[in-house]
Amino acid sequence: MLNQLTSYLHQNVTPGEAGNLVWATLYILIIFAGVSLAVILMNWGERKALAHMQVRLGPMRVGPHGLLQPIADAVKLLIKEDIMPSEADRLVFWMAPLAVVIAAFTVYLVVPFGPTHAVTDMNIGILFMLGTSSLGVLGIIMAGWASNSHYPLLGSLRSSAQMVSYEIAMGLAVVSAVLMTSFTGTGPWAAGSGSGVGTLSMIGIVEAQKTQHVWFVFKFFPLGLMAFMVFAIAMVAETNRAPFDLPEAESELVAGFHTEYSGFRWSLFFLAEYAAMIAVSSIAVTLWLGGWLRPFGTWLSGPTWDVVFSLVPGGFFLLLALAAFYNTARMPRHPMLRVQTLGLGAFGALLGLIGLLLLAPPVRDRIQDIFWFVFKVAVFMYLYIWYRGTFPRYRFDQLMKVGWKVLLPLGLAVLIATALVGVGPELAAWARGGH
Amino acid sequence: MRARAVTFVRKALLGDLFQGLAVTFRNQHPGQVYTEQYPLERPQIAERYRGLPRLHVNPETGETLCIACDLCAKACPEHLITVESERDAATRRKRLTRYWFDISRCMFCGLCQEACSTDALELSQDFELAQYSRDGLVLNRSRLEHGPETTVYTR
Repeated sequence: MLNQLTSYLHQNVTPGEAGNLVWATLYILIIFAGVSLAVILMNWGERKALAHMQVRLGPMRVGPHGLLQPIADAVKLLIKEDIMPSEADRLVFWMAPLAVVIAAFTVYLVVPFGPTHAVTDMNIGILFMLGTSSLGVLGIIMAGWASNSHYPLLGSLRSSAQMVSYEIAMGLAVVSAVLMTSFTGTGPWAAGSGSGVGTLSMIGIVEAQKTQHVWFVFKFFPLGLMAFMVFAIAMVAETNRAPFDLPEAESELVAGFHTEYSGFRWSLFFLAEYAAMIAVSSIAVTLWLGGWLRPFGTWLSGPTWDVVFSLVPGGFFLLLALAAFYNTARMPRHPMLRVQTLGLGAFGALLGLIGLLLLAPPVRDRIQDIFWFVFKVAVFMYLYIWYRGTFPRYRFDQLMKVGWKVLLPLGLAVLIATALVGVGPELAAWARGGH
Repeated sequence: MRARAVTFVRKALLGDLFQGLAVTFRNQHPGQVYTEQYPLERPQIAERYRGLPRLHVNPETGETLCIACDLCAKACPEHLITVESERDAATRRKRLTRYWFDISRCMFCGLCQEACSTDALELSQDFELAQYSRDGLVLNRSRLEHGPETTVYTR
């Protein structure tokens, strides 16, 4: 048993490939806990960032700067009465949140946090991710139908129409990124391009970006960026977030498909929504932004830069600790705030401790892949909040127009152009030489 | 023609959307925050704000400045001030005994403080008027003289 545990550490593959069930389970637990923690942090961050964009303060009372607010919310949701409408279809009503949560979390099986830090590496990884994440629509339709009420039904209809139509644009963008893995030349313009065999494996896609010395956003310069933009817009629509939040448009549909849900069941929908956001962001990071690869891998290469970049995770946490200490010093001197000031100081100390731990050589070598991946995903999470704070909601016909008349043709054009540019040199050689 | 081309490029590159994003990004600066944290931070009250009524006393002797002339009660359009007085046998002057001010019906027009001949009655800058019961809104003389008895929570 112990041997099985320790022997895995010397193998350089994911637990799924090694066939090590213990470590696979451990990874699943870590990812589940990590994603839940991320959802909690995201909840706080969203309320704070959105508030600041609207010149407000956001949560300030529960814990220093409202840091414990999501926990208070979670407790409130758990002890709230769980109401089931009397006319509801009980079984389907009960199953809908489960379906959504399971679909949202199953996706994480193939998310590569590092070259070996994934539960498993499927050879059809990206297909699996898109497939499972679209199962979430099923749960939403179930919720809307089982509630036996007007607003949820309308919300779930809108949601399914939206998710189905944006899935196509999303798929086209993904295919063009997958296509890029098969062009083996290096650099943004693929010098000495030749076509090989592409891959659908999530880890394989990042490895391809590593061997090609370019993140796919910059590959074939405007093409990769355009595919990325198509995906970035489609993924906001996929996850039903502002400005495409028609399924739960508060001003029109009360809360959309989860109007009749309350308490724990509602919190499952909430969890699933945020987990799905993180999941699609990690698809975008893996396909276009080099997954776990550190930035400037080509320009600033060499052992010195490797060391410098491996210090970044620890430095980042130390910076966070510094910010926490700065705010501790700035807390108003008031007897009511003494506990909160102490708490913020302790939080800063904890962050600093984590930062110091991450600076230690054995830890930092193992952790830096995960750090870069999570950092990139966090940037996407911020983008989600930023969009929500900026853009007003689209009308339904506008939403459909953007999906079918703009993103779909654009995705197709980018796909064809990518293929032509990639195979271009070979085609020219074939035309000249006449094989 | 050129203007149309510029608009087209702007639309194609999502220029307006990026402009909007820039606005929200700039506004995130903590210095822009407009919210005041009320119980910790006292709000700035205007000098001429008319809030909770006070009945002033002479700061040296502690005697009331009110001469029980009843002008405030007469000036009040809502008839919510009641002044009770007795004639002092020695000085032959009116002496204030009891005084009621019912702020549940008060509209804070300030006519009473303008009518006051000795500047005893004043609508102060206190704005925390909430009470647990209706009766609590009828202020008697001691509450008018001592000001609001705010509960200070220690924890």
